[in-house]
Amino acid sequence: MDSLPPQEAQEVAWIKRAQRGEREAFGFLVERYQRRVFSLIFRMTRRTDEVEDMAQEVFLKVFGAIRSYDFRSPFGAWLSRVVVNHCLDYLRKERASRVTYYWQLGEENLRQVEAHSSNPEASGGDPERQAALRDLVGKLMARAPEGDRIVLTLREVEGLSVDEIAEIMNLKQGTVKVRLHRARKRMLEDFRRWQQGR
Amino acid sequence: MRCDEVRRIIVEDWPAEVPAAAREHLRSCHGCATLARDYELVRAGLRALASEPVPEPSWGFSTRLLRRLQESSEREGAEFLERVGRRVVYATLLLTLTLLLALALPPSGPLRGPTAADLYLAQAEVVTAGNAPIYTGESLETNGATLVAPENGEAGNKP
Repeated sequence: MDSLPPQEAQEVAWIKRAQRGEREAFGFLVERYQRRVFSLIFRMTRRTDEVEDMAQEVFLKVFGAIRSYDFRSPFGAWLSRVVVNHCLDYLRKERASRVTYYWQLGEENLRQVEAHSSNPEASGGDPERQAALRDLVGKLMARAPEGDRIVLTLREVEGLSVDEIAEIMNLKQGTVKVRLHRARKRMLEDFRRWQQGR
Repeated sequence: MRCDEVRRIIVEDWPAEVPAAAREHLRSCHGCATLARDYELVRAGLRALASEPVPEPSWGFSTRLLRRLQESSEREGAEFLERVGRRVVYATLLLTLTLLLALALPPSGPLRGPTAADLYLAQAEVVTAGNAPIYTGESLETNGATLVAPENGEAGNKP
């Protein structure tokens, strides 16, 4: 522990205290990681109204399970794994009660994206078109299988490396690459189907 | 470059920038150019998602969370005590009921089996009977009266 940078050493101390049931030490960990948890939850679920409740549930779960953390992986990765699993459960439940059709994408957005499709390079800085595109891809993400959504979010939206994703999802790097490739391919196919189906 | 090679680069490798050789192919191939355009659109959409502002934790989020943790641990403690207390009360009630039943029931009867004292008395009777003379069927004289063995199951003294 002496060789660790001060910030990490302090984090290890907080974790050990939290493992003994000290809520105050856990509070420091919450302060340090709350933004990351909020960001992951929001990117994966895209439900602004539920992010805070979900973050609370995640931290309650983390406090209940913190004794099982064995310091083998970074605490951030372990915490992210809890977040990802929580979001997967949420998305599965949500999927069971949700149907999205292309016509629900919104006429104005469709018009904007159509204009963008004809000349994508010209619309790089147009905020309206960017918003339309974001909305469209966001909805395509919402339609994607949960596994695709998680892996695409972590890589393309959160910008994590394949190593980090492997750590979080408890998978081999090769498996992450394969999943990522399939997810991208499916997303592109879905996008093209949407274009052809209009 | 062939179409399949270009499409592999576009879809599988998902490069940040399409290589020059592939770009050359895209100028002459409409199918691949459409795929590349779609790919660029999806990527632009994902980039736009990444730039979307994330909701911030509201003020006092961690304080509320810690309060909730404390409440849940207190509730768990109270529930544990309640559970244990309820069991103690049930056990006491059961014991009291058993004692009351034991006191209320008559000392003998169909609902009550032989007590230790009854068993002891019964044993004493058996021992007394064992000391009595064994009846052999011969007449016995006792105080001037003659006891004769009963015939056909009739019992009684015959003069």
